[in-house]
Amino acid sequence: MSEIRLQVKNVSKSFGITKALKNVSFNINKGEVHALIGENGSGKSTLTNSLTGIYQKDSGTFILDGEEVHAHNQVEANNMGISIIVQELGTLDGLTVAENIFLGHEERFVRFGIKNTNAMNREANELLKKYGFDRIKANAMIETYNFEDRKLVEIVKATYFGPKIVVIDETTTALSQEGREELYKQMNRIRSEGNTVIFISHDLPEILRMSDTITVLRDGDYIATVKSADMDEDSLKKLMVGREVTGDYYRADYGEPVSGEVVMSVKNVTVPGLIKNVNFDLHRGEILGFGGLSESGMHEIGKACFGASFDREGTVTLADGTAVNDIPTAIRHSIAYTSKDRDNESIILNQSIGDNICLPSLGELENGMHMLSDKKLREFADKNAKIMSTKMNSVDQFVSDLSGGNKQKVVLARWIGKDSDILILDSPTRGIDIGVKQDIYQLMDSMRRQGKSIIMISEELMELIGMCDRIIIMKDGEISNELPRDPDMDENSLISSMV
Amino acid sequence: MASSSETMKKKLTGQAAGYLILALLVVASWAVFKILTPGNFGSPKNLVSYFEASLLAAVGAVGFYFVMVMGMFDFSIGANIMLSAIVGCVFATRFSLGYFGLIAGAVLTGALVGLLNGVFYVKLRIPSMIVTTGLALIYESAANYIAGGVEQTLPSNLRAFGQMPGNLILAVLAFAAAYLLLNYTRIGTYTYAIGSNEFVAKNMGINVNKYKVLAFVISGAFLGVMAVLTISYGSSMVAVTGMASMSRNFVPTMGCFFGMAFRKYGIPLPAIIIGEFVINIIFFGFIALGAPTAIQDVITGLALLLVVTLTTRITKGEIVK
Amino acid sequence: MAENVNKKDLAKNVPEGNDKAASKEESLKKQQRANLIRTLLPIIGLVAVALIFNILTKGGMWNSRNLILNQVYVVLISATGVFFIMTMGGLDFSQGSIMGIASIVVCILSKTNIFLAVIGGIAAGAAIGAFNGFFYVNRKIKSFIVTICTMFLFRGLIKYIASNSPVAASMEVFNYDLPALKFGITAAVLLIGFIAFRYTKFGMYLKAIGAGEKAAKFAGIRTDRMKFLIYVLAGAITGLAAFINIVKNGSATANVGNQLETQILIALVLGGMPISGGAKVRFENIIVGALLYTVLNNGLTMMGMTTQAMQLIQGVIFLIFVAVFADRQSLQVIK
Repeated sequence: MSEIRLQVKNVSKSFGITKALKNVSFNINKGEVHALIGENGSGKSTLTNSLTGIYQKDSGTFILDGEEVHAHNQVEANNMGISIIVQELGTLDGLTVAENIFLGHEERFVRFGIKNTNAMNREANELLKKYGFDRIKANAMIETYNFEDRKLVEIVKATYFGPKIVVIDETTTALSQEGREELYKQMNRIRSEGNTVIFISHDLPEILRMSDTITVLRDGDYIATVKSADMDEDSLKKLMVGREVTGDYYRADYGEPVSGEVVMSVKNVTVPGLIKNVNFDLHRGEILGFGGLSESGMHEIGKACFGASFDREGTVTLADGTAVNDIPTAIRHSIAYTSKDRDNESIILNQSIGDNICLPSLGELENGMHMLSDKKLREFADKNAKIMSTKMNSVDQFVSDLSGGNKQKVVLARWIGKDSDILILDSPTRGIDIGVKQDIYQLMDSMRRQGKSIIMISEELMELIGMCDRIIIMKDGEISNELPRDPDMDENSLISSMV
Repeated sequence: MASSSETMKKKLTGQAAGYLILALLVVASWAVFKILTPGNFGSPKNLVSYFEASLLAAVGAVGFYFVMVMGMFDFSIGANIMLSAIVGCVFATRFSLGYFGLIAGAVLTGALVGLLNGVFYVKLRIPSMIVTTGLALIYESAANYIAGGVEQTLPSNLRAFGQMPGNLILAVLAFAAAYLLLNYTRIGTYTYAIGSNEFVAKNMGINVNKYKVLAFVISGAFLGVMAVLTISYGSSMVAVTGMASMSRNFVPTMGCFFGMAFRKYGIPLPAIIIGEFVINIIFFGFIALGAPTAIQDVITGLALLLVVTLTTRITKGEIVK
Repeated sequence: MAENVNKKDLAKNVPEGNDKAASKEESLKKQQRANLIRTLLPIIGLVAVALIFNILTKGGMWNSRNLILNQVYVVLISATGVFFIMTMGGLDFSQGSIMGIASIVVCILSKTNIFLAVIGGIAAGAAIGAFNGFFYVNRKIKSFIVTICTMFLFRGLIKYIASNSPVAASMEVFNYDLPALKFGITAAVLLIGFIAFRYTKFGMYLKAIGAGEKAAKFAGIRTDRMKFLIYVLAGAITGLAAFINIVKNGSATANVGNQLETQILIALVLGGMPISGGAKVRFENIIVGALLYTVLNNGLTMMGMTTQAMQLIQGVIFLIFVAVFADRQSLQVIK
């Protein structure tokens, strides 16, 4: 009897020109918690989404218990014994808890087209009791529960039918300690029943604690499969990144003093529900980092400094006394912003590269009669796109055709064209491959040396440690700690202030 | 340790609050006009007739609700009602099929119109309001061809659904069917699921296109029933062109907005029925005040605008087109 | 702290665009072909239709070209404003009622002073536009709902005012019924509109809002202000067209401007405009579309078609053209 539960054989998947998975092959055993790790853009989620029917792979096969499987959607995957708990919200508003648990599988309760709601609720309540989640009621509307409780419902939904494989995709990052312990309990239970958990997480200590085996992906390639017992954090990191994380990748300098000149002053900034009483100054030529958990409020700080927050209290003031309260003012006073939500906020997908690059600079590009010349616009766009070595056919191409890395290059090209002095970069290298990441780090370093100031908000601790003069840690919407640049700093120094 | 009865209690207070608000609306709208024109408005007998009149749009609205919950819109409601009423009348009279012809003709036509709306929408992949605008033009033409320029009259021996108890019975049957569909079938669950988040619903294996078409068919069928009631009530139907049938779009749409606004109290369907009653009270109130017919349109337009304004939550930063 | 559950975050699980492995070459070629169709089809259609009808009416259409041209002016001018609205991704179903109210204002004021009448018409149109803009921008109600309400309520007002008899303008207006004047005003509106749209920030901002409103906002465009002002502008432009309408007709009946919004919508669609606006719109859509629509209508009328037959053909052609020219890539979720 083979110990192998799932064989991944030569699986590949591309999105347009981006190769997310390249010929990945490895095995996953029964009765184990098998972790899947890698940096952003490594292909972990793509792989599991292809397995669970959310995506359709381009080529290769999945062999489950000796049989080839191909799921076209989650319900099909469920019927094969595969389920997934996603990172974002996986339950639907407007439905009850019971309806969410059984969504797509109502046939059991339906006779002659009529749904037996009472039976459904009864069974849901029994399940919730079995899991120890009594306080959640089957017939209550799901939106009356908070994010954590809704995740618990998702856990029930994904595991109640005893699936052979449960994929847990980055779920732990958004949960409190209690929620995580709940999840760990379920993972252990599934393992003891002889089934398999595929566990995706960025939290290396958690991975080492909970998993038996670890598979590493990098840039869509399979790297290695190792036993957790044989590994430690450093060795895992080396596998993930592929090289020593030295100063060559990030900034090489240490001990350079930062100018005392304040370019932006943030006082008592509060955005209800998101951040509270934030105070800090940004100096000329400084890279100021913000780190924390995803919902710590750090992303809102970027918006607040750009004039893009709603109901912001407090002040954001520039050196010349200008108050930044709306986006046009911010841009006019040489502030730039790249959003974490690149496709919706930083760039207009359904417009050309040229239009995107020129948009904030139109005021400077028009002639005395307020007219724009096609030629001048094109030259401007070309020049700035080339500074960033953007891979494209021409500036007339629509941005939607580009890969994630090149989209980000277009975003940065726009602000280079505007020659902004203050740049607020939120998750600037998210989902981008190593080569482009390095380009961006080098760009940031050269901007810093030119005297520009950068606020860098990131969930990737290593890049904060490598790039920033100071790192401010956010927790629950407030500033929790501030750490200066230090060659001996490591992730642990930051994590303790984050959680 | 909350017990199941506590959630029940919470649910009831939600519903009770909703009913209370609706009751207040009824009383308030009645009171305003009763004070302004006590003589010819608001007697118990009047109120019964206002309620009867409101049943028509309510029947259409409970079906149209399925479409609107999914986030889609239908510009061809008026054309549908007109066409279905004419076909029903033709089946009943020209083909001598009597009541059976009236109902079968109207409801089948309504459902067919809904089917066409749904199929064209899904296949052409253009916004629902645009596709139904184009189709409305076509339905109006069809109605004109069938009616041949002649006003279609329902003979007096076929007008049972234009008065009590016929209209009430038909309406109650329609409401019961809508309630059943919404709360006791998968159609209801999936309608809400698709309206909540189409992407996630699709990932969960729900055949989104199928249920969208189904929503349009259901909506069309209920509009067919509304057509039966309309032509029985008014005894005749004229085929118009130039999108003039659009005037019939408004009142059912208003009811739907009521329904969506009261969904959080758990009583969408009753809210539609009572909402239409309130709207009719206001209309008859203006008539009692002596407002000329042209002003009715002004009131209708303003009323829908008001209802939508009051029932739309403003989310900061939301993109509305 | 609060969780920001964004629907688009959920869509992260589904990649933007195609799930199939269409190679870059294939999708680019498809795009180029689609763009070509979008540019050429309306023009070919216009020429073809004009030729066909001339043959079928044995030159009758060419003879009445002045009459036809006369009808096109009003649609051309009003369509310019609606073009701007639709480029941003909005809709305006109230154009006909705006035309009606503005026409009535022009008639009444013409008895005092012609110049005042023109200004009055424009102001009336702008006022209704502002009314639309308020509910659309401030109350965040979908534009098509706001404008069908406005359409209906102002039409009721028009019917009430003109119920007994049409509102007559002073006889002086007929002095202004000069082909040169009408052509001049129309050409001026189109020219200014074209230059503003194609060669200034104005057009770039409109397209950006239509293609990606949120990102446009983050690029510094004052989207709410622009959306409001465009509705006012479109109302004002139609108010100007009302003047041209009155110099032709001399009075405003209860049906004045009836269905103008549908005519404009069909005209723009025939001209190749994608229904949701965005970056692929072209100003030429207006001119080709309005001409094509008018020629088509007149041709069908000359052939003796009944109203319902014409409406049927209108509906079918509308659906076909909307489907062909729709810019589906920019519509993530089609509702």
